[in-house]
Amino acid sequence: MKRFIERFYVAIIFIFLYAPIVTLIVLSFNSSRTRAKWGGFTTHWYSELFKNDAIMQALYNTIFIAIVSSVIATLIGTITCIALNNMKARPKNLLLGMNNIPMLNADIVTGISLMLLFISFGFRFGMQTILLAHITFNIPYVILNVMPKFKQLNPNTYEAALDLGASPVYAFFKVIFPDILPGILSGFLMAFTMSLDDFIITHFTKGAGVDTLSTKIYTEVRKGIKPEMYALSTIIFVTVFVLLLIVNISPAKEKQSRKHVSFVRRYSKQFAAAAVALILIIGSVFLFQGKGNQQVIVYNWGEYLDPEVLTMFEEETGIEVVYDEYETNETMYPKVASKAADYDVVCPSDYMIQKMIENGLLAELNYDNIPNVKNIDPDYINQSKDFDPENKYSVPYCVGTVGILYNKTMVDEPVDSWDILWNDKYKDNILMQDSVRDAFMVALKKLGYSMNSSDPKELEEAKQALIDQKPLTQAYVVDQVRDKMIGNEAAIGVIYSGEAIYTKRENPDLEYVIPKEGTNVWIDSWCILKDAPNKENAEKFINFLCRPDIALMNFEYITYSTPNTEARKLIEDDDIRNSTIAFPDLTQYNNLETFQYLGDKTDRIYNNLWKEVKSK
Amino acid sequence: MKTKQSKWLAMPFTVWGIVFILIPLFMIFYYGLIDSEKHFTLANITAIAEPEHLKALGLSILLSLIATIICLVLAYPLAMILSRLGINQNSFIVLIFILPMWMNFLLRTLAWQTLLEKTGVINSILHFLHLPSLNIINTPYAIVLGMVYNFLPFMVLPIYNSLIKLDADVINAARDLGANGIQTFTKVIFPLTIPGVISGITMVFIPALTTFVISNLLGGSKILLIGNVIEQEFTQASNWNLGSGLSLVMMIFIIINMAASAVFDKDGEGGMM
Repeated sequence: MKRFIERFYVAIIFIFLYAPIVTLIVLSFNSSRTRAKWGGFTTHWYSELFKNDAIMQALYNTIFIAIVSSVIATLIGTITCIALNNMKARPKNLLLGMNNIPMLNADIVTGISLMLLFISFGFRFGMQTILLAHITFNIPYVILNVMPKFKQLNPNTYEAALDLGASPVYAFFKVIFPDILPGILSGFLMAFTMSLDDFIITHFTKGAGVDTLSTKIYTEVRKGIKPEMYALSTIIFVTVFVLLLIVNISPAKEKQSRKHVSFVRRYSKQFAAAAVALILIIGSVFLFQGKGNQQVIVYNWGEYLDPEVLTMFEEETGIEVVYDEYETNETMYPKVASKAADYDVVCPSDYMIQKMIENGLLAELNYDNIPNVKNIDPDYINQSKDFDPENKYSVPYCVGTVGILYNKTMVDEPVDSWDILWNDKYKDNILMQDSVRDAFMVALKKLGYSMNSSDPKELEEAKQALIDQKPLTQAYVVDQVRDKMIGNEAAIGVIYSGEAIYTKRENPDLEYVIPKEGTNVWIDSWCILKDAPNKENAEKFINFLCRPDIALMNFEYITYSTPNTEARKLIEDDDIRNSTIAFPDLTQYNNLETFQYLGDKTDRIYNNLWKEVKSK
Repeated sequence: MKTKQSKWLAMPFTVWGIVFILIPLFMIFYYGLIDSEKHFTLANITAIAEPEHLKALGLSILLSLIATIICLVLAYPLAMILSRLGINQNSFIVLIFILPMWMNFLLRTLAWQTLLEKTGVINSILHFLHLPSLNIINTPYAIVLGMVYNFLPFMVLPIYNSLIKLDADVINAARDLGANGIQTFTKVIFPLTIPGVISGITMVFIPALTTFVISNLLGGSKILLIGNVIEQEFTQASNWNLGSGLSLVMMIFIIINMAASAVFDKDGEGGMM
């Protein structure tokens, strides 16, 4: 009976640990693109995966960083342990204390502190900064694994070896090393796993064009995880699992007691040789990847451009594109402002463009080099004057509105006003936007104020409205509105128009409206940075994106509306070409506004009010 | 090994630690103690007393304490059962707990969303069995669940390690001297595994206290933890000074924790492996 209870208990814990893993594996065979819906069995994503260069590159980076950082950390950590073993208590405790800091410090603090270091001392962000950061947080895992092995050593064996004429180095490798090897290996494994799994620290220390799987996934969270990612995770998981089984089963014939050690010891030279070879190969590929003479460094939103377009641009112009992604305007800004990486082209939103203009970060565009700008709808060029008064700095790329998406089967009254988001009837069925300005836009518009208000009284009222609304909301989300609405998780959600077309296609019960009180017309535009090292290439790049066929490719890939009128004419599907969601007639609506930069002080007021809402 | 020469082997780590651990930490202090005009100020630290921050901190402490206790209660019996399975499976057990980490952390946490949602996997099963549905997504319960899920291995491994290091003779001696099962556990086994327990508590409590990803993904962003506040100051509000100041406040808890481990775990025995 006792045995049964024990087994049962272990089984329950394992179900708990592995349930999400199984879920992910199942999702990798789901033919529907959204995780909210089961569309039938497919292995399509597995073949897609190997065609996806961006994911394969991220995988390569992840493994490269994990191997190099854990090998270096293992070397440093092990020799440190040798030294620590001979130290007096005081310096030893000091070093161990320092060693504990990255272990105990919150990841976010470690990540940010390293970012501040790199920025202050002018490091260039890139692969090398991620490596330095990973080595830093990996060393403690090695030391904590190797130190206990030293404690278990019998000091006499080493003395004996010396007495018998062995040199200290020889004695170390013959006597001590085999005994501490299990500690070194488990330290290495731990470091490797931590490096592989790390997101937060990488997020703060990565540079242009370098993505690991974690940071790639995080940019995808905004727009929904690509099923290829599930497929890749499944492959990694199964590979490791099989390797584990082999390693644990094969040496079973040998003596039980020191099986693990002897197995490793027998093959240690081969292991070492293989590891070194692997690092050399990967390292040389990395070093000789060599940059072409011509390049342009692009910093764009995650999932905001068809990767095929980049390949076409490279083929047509011979200019290499270094491509990097960000999740929000606010994470992009400090990286650009601190000039930690030499970006050429960025794609900020309206109010952020204004902020960057005011802070002198943007270069004036030379429209002679961007003749294709003629394809852009004059309405949007005009609307851009809200943030770029003389149209000197920006070329609109994607545009849209913010509105209400509702499920016709769950909402039975007509929806035409923001007020429905305050209706008790839909308690726990409302999804609000989780960003300061968007949330306040809804509240301010509902109250009949401008969404660019900086009047403390109006803002206070808006805050109160949001606090009143909080008990009714199911969640504050940015990206997941899409999946949750498709999966019938909620009845009403605040959503960007670009997502509306896609969600309607996946779930025909959904309907998108622009409320009568008015809303936000947002514009994301391409800009060139003042310090851009490749300004001419950047202009070529922008011009290329304004070409109708290219704009069409991007529209079909990201489904966000394009202001490119020539591209719109090329759309084959009548429903989409004439869709009032994708291409609203702006003159039909009242009170449409575009976000403006209100200055640091007002920004801070908004943020504080939002914090009050969130903490209620 | 008692040679003087081997001391220089500590040099690489000493230098590395100063450059990449201590100086960055100093940067946080520096940013935390100045305002946007670079004047010295304590305002970023005292800002913790503002009601929103205090509430976020209190909630973080509460949730991470609950998660830590649940982890401990779940992990200790589990570690005991596993430790009796025999030493030759040692590495395998460790690996079984590390294995889930090879599936990305963000994906694992997102998978819980799929499991817990109103129309999610668990509720579909419950519905099929005509059982009442489980509505914990977007509540503090889901956050605690996410914490327990992500950090449980960090509790199991150190406890498991202290248990397999226990000398069987000590336990037998206790038995011989007439102690019953419970007495053996409370008087002998548990006290000897305290370093492992302390190490486990640290490894669970600190990341749980400072998380922002779990509360965002499973709490529907409705619940503001101190990690979320700090993250938002850096990534959304661009107020690095306030973010650094609040990070400094959080470090106080880390120092308390380090002091506690120093008292209970003098030899640093409660390792992960």
